[in-house]
Amino acid sequence: MSENHYVIETVDLNVWYGESHVLKDLCMKVMRNKVTALMGPSGCGKSTLIRCFNRMNDIINNCRIKGKVLFNGKDIYNPNTDVVTIRKKIGMVFQKPNPLPKSIYENVAYGPRVHGVNDRETLDKIVEKSLKSAALWDEVKDRLEDSAMSLSGGQQQRLCIARALAIEPEVILMDEPCSALDPIATTKIENLINDLKKKYTVVIVTHNMQQAARVSDYTGFLYLGQLIEFGPTKQIFENPQEELTEKYITGRFG
Amino acid sequence: MPFLIESFSFFYSSKRKYFKEIFIKGTLFVSAIFAIVVIFFIIFFLFKEGHPIFENIGLWNFLSGKEWNPTGDPPSYGAFSLILGTLLVTSGAMIISVPLGFGSAIFISEIAPPKIRSIIKSGVEILAGIPSVVYGFFGLTVLTDWLRVTFDKPSGECWLAGSILLGIMALPTIISVSEDAISSVPMEYKEASLSLGATKWQTISKVIVPSALSGITAAIILGIGRAIGETMAVMMVTGNAAIIPKPITNVFSPIRTITGTLGIEMGEVAYGSTHYHALFGLALILFAIVLIVNMIANVILGKLKEKHMPALKKKKRKMLSQKTMWRVKRSIYALCSLTLMWLLVVQFGIEISVLIISIILCCYLISKKISAKTSQRVAFGIVALSTIIVLFILGIILYYIIANGARALSWEFLSQYPLDSGRAGGIYPAIIGTLYLVGGAILIALPIGIGAAIYLTEYTKEGLLTKIIRTGIEALNGTPSIVFGLFGFAFLVLYLNLGVSLLAGQITLALMILPTIIRTTEESLKSVPQSMREASLALGATKWQTVRKVVLPPAMPGIITGTILSIGRAAGETAPIMFTAVVFSQRFLPTSPLEPVMALPYHLFVLTTSVPGAEQNAYGTALVLLLLVICLYIIAIMIRNHYRKMRKW
Amino acid sequence: MVIKMDAKTKKIAVFGVMMGLVVIATALSGCLKSGEKHTITIRGSTTVLPIAQKTAEAYMDKHPNVDISVSGGGSSVGIQSVGEGIADIGMASRDLKDEEKTRYPNLKPIVIAKDGIAIIVHPDNPVTNLTLEQIRGIYNGTYTNWKEVGGPDKEIVVINRDSASGTREFFWEHVMQKDDFVATALEKNSNGAVKQTVSQTPNAIGYVGLGYVDKSVKAVKIKKEGTEVEPTVENVLNGKYPIARSLYMITNGEPKGIVKDFIDFVLSEEGQRIVEEEGFVPIS
Repeated sequence: MSENHYVIETVDLNVWYGESHVLKDLCMKVMRNKVTALMGPSGCGKSTLIRCFNRMNDIINNCRIKGKVLFNGKDIYNPNTDVVTIRKKIGMVFQKPNPLPKSIYENVAYGPRVHGVNDRETLDKIVEKSLKSAALWDEVKDRLEDSAMSLSGGQQQRLCIARALAIEPEVILMDEPCSALDPIATTKIENLINDLKKKYTVVIVTHNMQQAARVSDYTGFLYLGQLIEFGPTKQIFENPQEELTEKYITGRFG
Repeated sequence: MPFLIESFSFFYSSKRKYFKEIFIKGTLFVSAIFAIVVIFFIIFFLFKEGHPIFENIGLWNFLSGKEWNPTGDPPSYGAFSLILGTLLVTSGAMIISVPLGFGSAIFISEIAPPKIRSIIKSGVEILAGIPSVVYGFFGLTVLTDWLRVTFDKPSGECWLAGSILLGIMALPTIISVSEDAISSVPMEYKEASLSLGATKWQTISKVIVPSALSGITAAIILGIGRAIGETMAVMMVTGNAAIIPKPITNVFSPIRTITGTLGIEMGEVAYGSTHYHALFGLALILFAIVLIVNMIANVILGKLKEKHMPALKKKKRKMLSQKTMWRVKRSIYALCSLTLMWLLVVQFGIEISVLIISIILCCYLISKKISAKTSQRVAFGIVALSTIIVLFILGIILYYIIANGARALSWEFLSQYPLDSGRAGGIYPAIIGTLYLVGGAILIALPIGIGAAIYLTEYTKEGLLTKIIRTGIEALNGTPSIVFGLFGFAFLVLYLNLGVSLLAGQITLALMILPTIIRTTEESLKSVPQSMREASLALGATKWQTVRKVVLPPAMPGIITGTILSIGRAAGETAPIMFTAVVFSQRFLPTSPLEPVMALPYHLFVLTTSVPGAEQNAYGTALVLLLLVICLYIIAIMIRNHYRKMRKW
Repeated sequence: MVIKMDAKTKKIAVFGVMMGLVVIATALSGCLKSGEKHTITIRGSTTVLPIAQKTAEAYMDKHPNVDISVSGGGSSVGIQSVGEGIADIGMASRDLKDEEKTRYPNLKPIVIAKDGIAIIVHPDNPVTNLTLEQIRGIYNGTYTNWKEVGGPDKEIVVINRDSASGTREFFWEHVMQKDDFVATALEKNSNGAVKQTVSQTPNAIGYVGLGYVDKSVKAVKIKKEGTEVEPTVENVLNGKYPIARSLYMITNGEPKGIVKDFIDFVLSEEGQRIVEEEGFVPIS
């Protein structure tokens, strides 16, 4: 496979929070225009890993990182790399829906605005397109000026996805995007993820194995800061190579 | 049978719980009402003493008269120049302190590394602990002299000096309270913005600051209150000539404020004379000004909130109306800039104002062109600069106090009684007296203040009552310290017959610091996420249990910040205790709360104004007062840092 | 949970320390007290305060069972306090006003000293003497430049006392002859502040009590009928120096008992010597 197939690649990635070593010598590759799922028990380091991809760990005070994270072949932890550009190209959706305390419109327009789009008509278009891509347009088109806080949880999370899409990233990172949502909202988001992979690369953290099986093309299994197994989703679920993976999948864990 | 007993005890305990809740709610309600009652007492008292002047010469004549010469022949009582003076000095102070304070708050909470943050924060709090008399003498001996030499004016005592000094004095309030507000913006907002590729500065300016607006406005209102009500310092540096600056923008003109007039004339005016009533009339006007300022601030806050946090209710707004809105906005901006231009032309003449305007335009255009990164660099630079300026000011003042005060400092100075009218001997009784006064004031104000804040945030819905209570608290905040002093003298000392006593002083000081405690406590209670309350309530905890175990602990840092600001203010104030609690010298320490005490700020005040040849001991007293306040702070800051560490979100 | 306990203990500890301080201080004060205690409280004018303080110190040295506490606040606070019975003695640097006389008809003012008022300028100012007319001219705005009264070509910075001050009232009646002060004059609320301002403002003029004159300012001589009179205690005493006012201690009714004893002490030779030491003018 050519270099171009991989969007993100980690090389011997180690992360410490203060004294605790949360990621250990981690190497993995994320395929372009595919959905990659990261699963594992709580505390295994999957959220930490995904937050390394767009350097969101920077804002945590005592976080220390060693190793490389390559985005399109360039190390994003290189001091010369501009973190803002990285985050513009790698969007993120968080575990808990976190709309900004602004209107629905302004939430989506926020990203384009900070990247210098100020023309109202362009913004209108971006907002409409993004909300449509996030399958939210029909529900909110009449109340774009309402507070984003007035939406339901599922709607808020789709708004957050729309907000991420508005800056047209290459990769969308999703950190357990459905853990706070009901099954219907979850289904909507899962369908959305399926649509998204046509244009974007998606990395999703989940501890719901069915979800990983349903939405992803590749799956990685993390345990205690180590990547135990990584491969096509089908192979991981049907024919895991590692004993730990098998135990986890069959629910005989611990 | 066992089942029956169980269910009985369940009902029994729930009934007890119920009564306990009612009792607690009642207590909290009483403490919230307390502030209102005090306000009404003060207003009633001011009105009782002040209204004869309005009857005598008419409200309009009093307000619009340009000449204030109460001892002239015939006397004239025109308050216009004093009102104008107050407004000018206060707005000048805000122009100086709001940008500096705001910048420093951003730097401290968002940019500075944690270690530097706590150092700067402590520095700012020291600034709050410097007594106003010390500010006054610093202003009189250093600031006015510097202004006079630098700008080559015959005298440096002017509007500008007053504004600079008041600006500095308002800084700690503005910085501390807005820093708390900014720090309590949820991490999620920050993450959301950063993950979209916004720069740190964009995140700060577009998400964090708008979310913290309520707290920041509170900070500015508290700051204005501090500036508008300040007496001792302002009357030492503004020159106190009751004139209107010519032209109105002449910042080097001497000026006289309402508080300055009260501070200067109150002590010597004959009780019950027309002049006496006129002074209370002035105090009433000041009260009204503070109320109006608060109302304006609240309206602005409401508008800002609407802009950044649209109402949760559904509001139909068509695109067209929004376009008209934009147009209206644009014309308002145009109008404002035209007015500003006109002011510039009036002040500096056409050539210079054209130059200034073109520079501003250039800056604007450049700012549009430059990348987000460069603008971040510029913004951080400005923000860091404002912090450096604040620290520099602190450094100068500290140097001034320490350099002059260190010579006087010795064990004898700390442990002996004053001799020779304070020129010799020590200040031991004054140290103890100040500790008594501050400790008592905090002990009285803290439970009432926290109770009122809890009632306001946790036990009521926003409504008329809370509005009245809030207005009352804000009015109390802007009430000049000298009015507290007079109220204490008339009500506590004379009417309740407490005499000039420790207790009267403690109560007066407690009333004075109450608004700061309520406001800051309220802000920090509000910053505790609703979900945490819900979590506790859902487990069957009563309201009070929720408040005590879930809401109060994370709100502690904010409450302690309020207390710290209060300690500084209570320890350094002269005016409220001057009439109610202190004596200049005493051979014995007080043995009961009904005896008077000595106090450091008053001792300092008398030494510097009325005892010739006591300079060295005066500076020594200032230094001791400062050290004392710092010691109290260190204790409070340690507690706060401890609670900070516990805050987990 | 453990952490929480810690916070509580710490808080308790802090309160403990505070309470401890209170207790220690109270205990100390208890030790200092002995025998039967008589107290006299004196309140009022800050101008009179140094006299009251120094005489009180001397008196207390002689009568160890007497505690005299002295505090300021201003003449009117003194008058009101003694009228309301909060203080035993009021201090005032001005006469009783009509309002005060009607309100507290029993007040009895006793002149305890005189205060000569010196006209002061910056030490670098070449002007050494002024006539009363010139001083009046400066303070009513007729003269605004030092060259008009024989000095350099510099704008005069006029420093006035506040409109409630007894010193100003006296100055207004006896020097200004009830003429209005110039509105641009800077107003200071204490002798100390006037002296401070004049000492650091080269072109300023102000007036303060004699006790405040030191090296940092220069007192001008008053030119009267061809002679120059220096503001000194002797010149006030012998009547040559024209600007001096009376300072009062006020009691409610005739002074009695220990209060009378103290006032007698102030008026005694020893008391008046202290008055002179403090830079005021004794009455005899």
